[in-house]
Amino acid sequence: MSQETIWDRLQRIDRRVIYWLLFILLILPFLRPLGLPISISPQSRSLLEGLRKLKEGDVVVINISSGVSAWPECLPSLVAVSKVLIQQKAKIIYWTSFVDGHMTFEKIVEKVPGFKGLTYGVDYVHLGFYTGAEPTVAQLATNIRAIFTTDYKGTPIDQLPIMKGVNSAKDVKMVISSDTGDYGDYYIRQWRIPYGVPFAEIGIAMLFSNYQPYWPEIVFGMTGGAKGGAELEKLIGEPGDATVTMDAINTSHLLVVVAVILANLGYAATRRRR
Amino acid sequence: MGYPTTIDGILGIWTALALMLFVYSYPLYKENQLFRFAEHLFIGLSLAIAAIIAIQTTKRLAITPLMEGKVYYIVPILLGFMMYLILHRDYRWVSRYPIAILVGSSIGLGMRGTIIPNILSQIIATITPPKPGADATAWFNFVYIGIGTILAVMYFLLTFEHKGPLLYPTRLGRWVIMIGLGAYFGNTVLFRMAMLSGRAQFLLQVLGLVPF
Repeated sequence: MSQETIWDRLQRIDRRVIYWLLFILLILPFLRPLGLPISISPQSRSLLEGLRKLKEGDVVVINISSGVSAWPECLPSLVAVSKVLIQQKAKIIYWTSFVDGHMTFEKIVEKVPGFKGLTYGVDYVHLGFYTGAEPTVAQLATNIRAIFTTDYKGTPIDQLPIMKGVNSAKDVKMVISSDTGDYGDYYIRQWRIPYGVPFAEIGIAMLFSNYQPYWPEIVFGMTGGAKGGAELEKLIGEPGDATVTMDAINTSHLLVVVAVILANLGYAATRRRR
Repeated sequence: MGYPTTIDGILGIWTALALMLFVYSYPLYKENQLFRFAEHLFIGLSLAIAAIIAIQTTKRLAITPLMEGKVYYIVPILLGFMMYLILHRDYRWVSRYPIAILVGSSIGLGMRGTIIPNILSQIIATITPPKPGADATAWFNFVYIGIGTILAVMYFLLTFEHKGPLLYPTRLGRWVIMIGLGAYFGNTVLFRMAMLSGRAQFLLQVLGLVPF
């Protein structure tokens, strides 16, 4: 019987050991922040530059296609973008394709102090939930009232001053989509291309590579996950949740990198022996 | 938002924490009754919410306009009901009509905005060199994306055997694809860790170790 080497033992580590290590590494930075540096990507920078070009009264649609489970990824960017939109005195219309999207909207309002000086229905509104994927997004581009007859509280849309004269994509200056799936593509195909509405993407980290080819011609700016949120927070000079989260993500990634290296070394060593 | 002070608020966060720990007991320990309870509760609640939302949406977008005299709304309602005939063996064929309409309209809508962003713009972006004064990274990306695109496409020339003049370009193309998939996987890991970090933060918040 051949002697068991350290490489054999490494390949047989119980997955629970890795999970516990990961959990501990994720927790520690919250208790003692490391303050690791955050580099700014050109995509985040161009998102902010695009937002800064907005003028007072411009109508901006924020599509929330990410649920509560994606808050660590998407919420920091949504909060940062809403802060900038308020500074630009833009009118913000939120709507969502997620059933729990209203919770995200309410969280944004809670986290952005600027909303306290604004009036709901006049300066910002949440029209609520829509279903139907791409056909609905196409319908929204031609007639918003065909999908939304009231806001999420049940107030008829025509009684909301912010909606006066806002009927279709032609009346919207910019659309921003917060996604965990395909909705960004729908808005590119149904809003950006046919109507030329400037489009920005706030996606989870997984989507960053998907939208990279669209930047900057089709998608003028974008952020990827918590990293993108931390970049925006740094750009606007208001560190928030994503800045704290990035330390935890960095330490956990270190574990993943070490695990990948060890696994490959172990594989190479045992293969050579065979 | 500070730590909840109301009874329902405190009960809510502790219930959420307990359910979260039940779920994590599976990867951190092993499958157990508490995990299964949380799993079944989650599936049941998700289904209930989905059913309520579906009924509310159908009522708002179809039934209410129909009741207001817009008779043509009967068409989508009927198409919707026809879809459910997929469950009946004898009348399954009826469901093909609404599915055909759904697939056809979705493809048609999708095609509308596909050519420009997914083909034309990306070809233009690939062959457009960086602006004068661009840094070395921009030039590296330009060369890498240009050559990498050609090599990756060559890998999918499946009508020719990958040997002779095609041997090395297709091998390199495979490497380019693997690097791309690696970057995608890296972003996937980043996403999962961020989700997990949110839960870790929540745990500490409920325990009062970090502020809400």
